[in-house]
Amino acid sequence: MALFQTFVGLEIHIHLLTKTKVFCGCKSAYGDKPNTNICPVCLGYPGVLPAVNKEALKMSYMVGTALNCELSPHTLFERKNYFYPDMTKNYQISQFSDPVGVNGWFEFETDGGIKRIRIHDVHLEEDAGKMIHDGNRTLLDYNRAGTSLLEIVTEPDFSTSEEAENFLQSFQRMVRYLGVCDGNMEEGSLRCDANISINKTGKGLGTKVEIKNLNSSRFVRKALQYEYKRQAKTIKNGGKIVQETRLWIEEKQKTRSMRTKETAHDYRYFPEPDIPPFVPDEMFMQSVNDSMVELPFVRKQRLQKAYSLTEEFAVFITEDKFRADFFEAVISAGAGAGTGTGTGTGTAVTGTPAPAAIAAIAATAAKWLKGETVKQLGRRNLELSDSPLSPIRFFSLMKMLSDGTIHANIARQLLELTLDQDEDPEILLERDVLAGSDDDAEIAEIIDSVLSNNPEAAVQIQEGNTKAVGFLMGQVMKASQGSADPKTVRILLMEKLTNKK
Amino acid sequence: MNEVGRKTLFWRGLTGSVEQRKRYNKLITEADSEISAFLEINPESGASLLRKNSESQTSSPLSGLPFGVKDNIAVEKFQLTCGSKILNSFVSPYSATAVSRLLAAGAVPVGKANMDEFGMGSSTENSAYKTTVNPWDHAKVPGGSSGGSAAAVAAGLVPFALGSDTGGSVRQPAAFCGTYGLKPTYGSVSRYGLVAYASSLECVGVLADSVEMTKNVFTVIGGKDPMDQTSSNGSVNSADAAAQPYTIGVLSKTEGLDPAVAEAYGETIEQMKLLGWKIREISLNTQEYVVPAYYTIATAEASANLARYTGIRYGMREKDITDHENMVRLTRENGFGDEVKLRILLGTYVLRSGFQDQYYVRAQKIRTLIRNEINTLFTKVDMILMPVFPTQAFRFGSQEMTPYQQKLADKYTVTANLAGIPSLSFPTGLKSGLPVGLQLMAPDFCESRLFDAAGVLSGGRSIQLAPGAMSAGEVS
Ligand SMILES: [Zn+2]
Repeated sequence: MALFQTFVGLEIHIHLLTKTKVFCGCKSAYGDKPNTNICPVCLGYPGVLPAVNKEALKMSYMVGTALNCELSPHTLFERKNYFYPDMTKNYQISQFSDPVGVNGWFEFETDGGIKRIRIHDVHLEEDAGKMIHDGNRTLLDYNRAGTSLLEIVTEPDFSTSEEAENFLQSFQRMVRYLGVCDGNMEEGSLRCDANISINKTGKGLGTKVEIKNLNSSRFVRKALQYEYKRQAKTIKNGGKIVQETRLWIEEKQKTRSMRTKETAHDYRYFPEPDIPPFVPDEMFMQSVNDSMVELPFVRKQRLQKAYSLTEEFAVFITEDKFRADFFEAVISAGAGAGTGTGTGTGTAVTGTPAPAAIAAIAATAAKWLKGETVKQLGRRNLELSDSPLSPIRFFSLMKMLSDGTIHANIARQLLELTLDQDEDPEILLERDVLAGSDDDAEIAEIIDSVLSNNPEAAVQIQEGNTKAVGFLMGQVMKASQGSADPKTVRILLMEKLTNKK
Repeated sequence: MNEVGRKTLFWRGLTGSVEQRKRYNKLITEADSEISAFLEINPESGASLLRKNSESQTSSPLSGLPFGVKDNIAVEKFQLTCGSKILNSFVSPYSATAVSRLLAAGAVPVGKANMDEFGMGSSTENSAYKTTVNPWDHAKVPGGSSGGSAAAVAAGLVPFALGSDTGGSVRQPAAFCGTYGLKPTYGSVSRYGLVAYASSLECVGVLADSVEMTKNVFTVIGGKDPMDQTSSNGSVNSADAAAQPYTIGVLSKTEGLDPAVAEAYGETIEQMKLLGWKIREISLNTQEYVVPAYYTIATAEASANLARYTGIRYGMREKDITDHENMVRLTRENGFGDEVKLRILLGTYVLRSGFQDQYYVRAQKIRTLIRNEINTLFTKVDMILMPVFPTQAFRFGSQEMTPYQQKLADKYTVTANLAGIPSLSFPTGLKSGLPVGLQLMAPDFCESRLFDAAGVLSGGRSIQLAPGAMSAGEVS
């Protein structure tokens, strides 16, 4: 038995992806010119009133649902009072006694299996502005002031720093699936504070220390590991842990004290008189339920079971909601095309294994998605969601591949052509692959050598002198001994030249 | 032509063209130099807002009428000081919903009226800028906190003015100056643009020279506003079943009232009896608790509402201070007056953790009891007749009433704010040359009942203007 027991809890803030701020009509956006998304309401001008954003409430109830919370039938906003330069009203509209959701739980995967932690509460509040320290002065940007922030507080149920890190990654995936937050920790749209207490095993909770400034899930793990060591050492040496808030200093790989409990605020919470308690009606709850999606962990388990996917492929496919949707659309295209005897998604929903033909397509699709597709998208700086590769196109590619119409090399070529020319693979196969005497890779090689032998010509073209194009084309045609298709040569050549820029 | 029609023509004649506005500006400025009702007068700026509002109706009974606005209600391009140094020279970038609706009805905001700082006071003496006098007796206060608005109407400078009523701040100055003063049902007029003092208690109210005018203004400014989620269409949609002859609840005990007020109270009861109305004696068991409950809730909310005044984004800022804490501390120390500081401190105290149950939570429970008692009473009576204030207008400098006595005297007015119900202060005539006002209170959203009753009591006549008032005779 370990000498010490660790209790870790997390407080997570997520920026909801609402179009407007939580209490006014200003645009909610990251990275705009300072103080451009502001109005009398979010600047806290005299006489203004907050009007709560229904979309923010809906997203909050969605997260509450995903975290298995008891949802409030009359959620209440309260004022949290403290003076700070980035707080326009010097109180924050938040929730305290009757938040959106309480007493929830969340399951996620760790190296040691599935872990369930309890959620204390989920509450909606407004964010503050941003202070920018510039030499001996401080500038204030209020674009962020009043944007919707959802805070999720867990119980101290994590017993290792790895668990906290795993949770955070699962949580991040979950909010992305729900479409309520982009989950970006670097930009601060998902922020996390951790609290940790350690104690001799069996003695219950120890003295709580909070850690702030954790800008990635990795920092969370490292900071908790550091804190564990620091506190264990203190206790072993007979010292006492001080209840305090500490900052993670990434450059020094350590935490340092920020403030102790004695200087803690009395926030003087009281009900916000400007916003009546929100009573979700049937229609509202219906819209919340309609917007719920299958969550990543559940989906992963289902897909794994239905298509006998390996752990690696299942993780990859369900990591991103668009990718998982794409994958399932490929399968159902297969079912629609009569590849199998059953319907792909139909069997998948019930969780029973799919027929062999569909399972084969699924396995090929998973492999090609994770391998070649990611590679080719990366080269073109494309996301799957904005690429010309549709599930139908990808399916025909997989089908041609699995029924032996084409081999892997051609499939790779077709994949590239599809991405470059936004055309169906069957058409590309007829037009560009079978018709051309040489494959593009060969022509590309010739172009590369011609370009490296004539660097001045390339520069001239990039400077706008198109005459040199003809010269280079001639060189390439000559090198291919006239066998290359001039149209293809021109396309590939121009592509190389623009990529070089 | 009836009286209302003639008056309307008169006011329209003052603000119709640039020349007319210039002449009106001269008249109102001169008349105001006697009473100091306004902190800013600018009919031309008000008219420019009207021109911007192309949808203004000319058919509204308010079309073309000038009006005053208490300086805690936002009017675009006008100052918004709330009578406080801390908002010195602050110009509002937007208009309150009540003001926008009046503009849409074609009415012209002509100036910002003096007030007790942030609405805290009963005499307008707590203004950081000016001393407004009672137009009836320049040695007396106009009441407060909407003292400027009441004085402006009583002196005939405007036919109506907007005020705000947190604990009697519309009704008490109306009673002191002899005008009508409506505190609407909580939520029936949007608070958007009313600078917050005690958000759960206060309303934008109307001070006017006749019942008709009060009603017309209320009709224009009332109704749900998406900018104020506590606002509703309750009064707009109310189908009031009560009709004359009314049953009026009157206090069985009225000790503590000045003789003039007690007399007026008795006379009004007699007048009602003559009208065939039924009089029922009632007692309010919660009345001894209303003032402490009111001050606990009002100051708690004020402590948060006034936290935004730090000089960082607008208003006064202490110069040459390099750290945030000291800048905020000194700005607030020098920007707020004593009464405001007192109430911020009180409110901060009652909200401290560990003390909330004893003060704030208890006050909220008392508030519920008051509301329940009032609602029960309204199952037996249609309206309740109450004094507004135990005295008539008092002298400047707290010779007759200390600030503490003034607070205790709020006991007749704060009930309506705690219960959220509408109440109309109406003039009953003069005693020793000074007006006495009384108030009628009605159930939630039953303002129409108040207008009907007060209309009957007034015999359809407008108020008597104070001596030396700006009048039709002076304008040809
Ligand atoms: Zn805004």
